[in-house]
Amino acid sequence: MRKFWCAFFVFWPIVAIIYSLISSLVPSLGWWFPGASVTELGQRIDNLFYLILYIVTTVFVGTQIAMGYVLWRASHSKDERAWFSHGSHSLEVIWSVVPSVILLFLALYQMDVWALFRVQAYFPKEAREAPVAEVTARQFEWRIRYPAPGKKLQLKPQPDDLYDVNDLHVPINRPVMIQLRSGDVQHSFFLPHLRVKQDAIPGQIIPIWFKAEKLGIFDLTCAELCGWGHYKMRAQLSAEREVEYEAYLKKLQADQNYDGHAIPSAVAKKDE
Amino acid sequence: MSARVWRLLVVVLAGAVAGCAEDASQMRFAQNADIAKPVHRKARAVVEKTLEEHFGTPLDSVAWLKLPVNYGKTEGKVKSVDGQSLVVDFNAETSDLESLKSPELNRSGLLFTSGANQGKSFLLADYDASEQSLETLTALESVPAEGDQFVVAGQNLRHGRKLYARHCQHCHGINGDGDGTTAKYLNPRPRDYRLGIFKFTSTNKDTKASRDDLKRILSQGIPGTYMPAFVPMLKENELTVLIEYVRWLAMRGELEVQLLKDLKNDYAADRVKKEAQESKASTSEIEKQIAKQLEEYVANPTEGLAAFIETVTGDMVLAWEGAETAGTVIMPPVPRVPDTAESRERGKALFVKTDGGKCINCHGPTGRGNGFQTEDFQKNDATGGFFEKRGLHDSWGEQIKPRDLTRGIYRGGRRPIDIYRRISQGIKGTPMPPVAATVKPEQIWDLVNYVLSVPFESASPKAAKTNSVAGQPSEHGNAN
Ligand SMILES: [Cu+2]
Repeated sequence: MRKFWCAFFVFWPIVAIIYSLISSLVPSLGWWFPGASVTELGQRIDNLFYLILYIVTTVFVGTQIAMGYVLWRASHSKDERAWFSHGSHSLEVIWSVVPSVILLFLALYQMDVWALFRVQAYFPKEAREAPVAEVTARQFEWRIRYPAPGKKLQLKPQPDDLYDVNDLHVPINRPVMIQLRSGDVQHSFFLPHLRVKQDAIPGQIIPIWFKAEKLGIFDLTCAELCGWGHYKMRAQLSAEREVEYEAYLKKLQADQNYDGHAIPSAVAKKDE
Repeated sequence: MSARVWRLLVVVLAGAVAGCAEDASQMRFAQNADIAKPVHRKARAVVEKTLEEHFGTPLDSVAWLKLPVNYGKTEGKVKSVDGQSLVVDFNAETSDLESLKSPELNRSGLLFTSGANQGKSFLLADYDASEQSLETLTALESVPAEGDQFVVAGQNLRHGRKLYARHCQHCHGINGDGDGTTAKYLNPRPRDYRLGIFKFTSTNKDTKASRDDLKRILSQGIPGTYMPAFVPMLKENELTVLIEYVRWLAMRGELEVQLLKDLKNDYAADRVKKEAQESKASTSEIEKQIAKQLEEYVANPTEGLAAFIETVTGDMVLAWEGAETAGTVIMPPVPRVPDTAESRERGKALFVKTDGGKCINCHGPTGRGNGFQTEDFQKNDATGGFFEKRGLHDSWGEQIKPRDLTRGIYRGGRRPIDIYRRISQGIKGTPMPPVAATVKPEQIWDLVNYVLSVPFESASPKAAKTNSVAGQPSEHGNAN
């Protein structure tokens, strides 16, 4: 039975090492939801996760091995007495200071990523100055308002604004900012492939920025249980080249001004 | 392990699995209570039976080929005949064959497209996938020959039914009555399909909604209501089958309403009471008399129930198929009048004119939706009297408000053509009237320009001038 407990405490660190190895490898291989990040900032957020994972793994493995060793030693020597450390000042200082240093290090180390992700003053200037769209979450869809091509997004709807639903288009390789709102209850704007997640709160306009670096259509979902139809808030982010993005806005504009007569020929052809 | 632990394990596992199965007992088409109420219960039972026969139950729906519904079809031909059952060969994709598995195939329609039974349709009773043999519910009229072609219909209906149950039913109800479990929390209420009326259409005032209209609502949602957009969650083929299922439910509701209204004439709920007073006959005698009359009505092949159904379905085919013809879609004869300050002024003048567009009566002088009609008692066409409550009502008997045009929310779409169609043809099922007969297309465009400018009118008095370029059709050309 003594041997069993030794083996038991040695078994878990091995599992932990294998687990952390797998979890650090699979996203880059595309095996694991939602794959490698499509943004550089997302990659840095991932790196923070991995850093914490490695620290926790190291501590976990170390303590398990120490416990295994203690048990193993005790099971082999019947004469040796246990040493009671209760009340040891230096030991208490060590196990208070070491984790504090680690936590303090993490707190300082993540600051620039946090600032870049959350603090508007640190957002890339071009994104901050020209938000590309206003996204309003409501039960149970995403309503999107773009400014007319060549114009700036205004706080209040403008006569030439363009509207779409459940399909947010952004150009790639340039930082873009959106204004997030909620039309009713709390929702959460979640782009898993871009590592962007932000609650939408009624009465607030919350800016979010990201820079998609890959072409494609990515999931846009709601990450806050917002009612019975929560699952219906499954939309998409279309990250496309600047020209395609501009063509999309032009097409929206043409659609929105459609009077049964004037379909601009260039756009009509693209439709077919 | 002890018996107790085992027992516990069984309980936990049973709990984990419970709830996975579809609860069939809860799924049934309830009768249209409002309309059925004044009808004698025996006549109501006839209606229920008739609908069951032609539409089945929610979990076992009938692809009634008389209806203008695209049920989806799998083609096949007869290989051999073995008494009542036919050995067949389906020339369909494997995925389609998968959905043909018994008992799902039960009550699908089987329509012969060649041979002695050509043009005749039958209901299927059984399909054996391993033997590739099928049996019809009613006997075939003539014995089919080898090589006779047929189609089996119903896949769309089954697929649509499943999607509807998952995504729509909780609001729109099992039978499309707009009274699902979550409906009571919603304002406005979810659409009740059973009148066969949909509000936001591209078709003219006398025509049903087209498939494209329903598709637009499904993919764009209805802003200002709880109807969300279902794209991109639902794919193209899923939209298609859902639309067919919704149309099918609407037609089921329409037939139900027509049957009940027709039977109410002769079989009113208070008939027994009335006759008993008049003739002094005993109520049981009158009940017997009613039962006998109904039996004759159902059995009469030329003037009875069958003939009535024939007429109603014939009308439905015309109405629903009519919505699919290009001629019924409203296209403005002239392009949009340039959105200038003058045009908006003209539109506004029409808007407030009490003998012109009459918009002001409901939408109010500034478009806030507070016209005097909202404070007046309104005529109820269904009863001939007045509504109990003041204000406007729709065909479903619900109190409704005229749109507040200052908010910039357009339920039926915000494109100029959408607003044009709303003004020109009205909104079906609501007091919003068509004005095409009295107002010229150019004037409708003036109204459109004005209506679209209302949300910006109060914000800045100069808005009309600065924004005037934005929506001009002429800009389309420059934009490219
Ligand atoms: Cu949500």
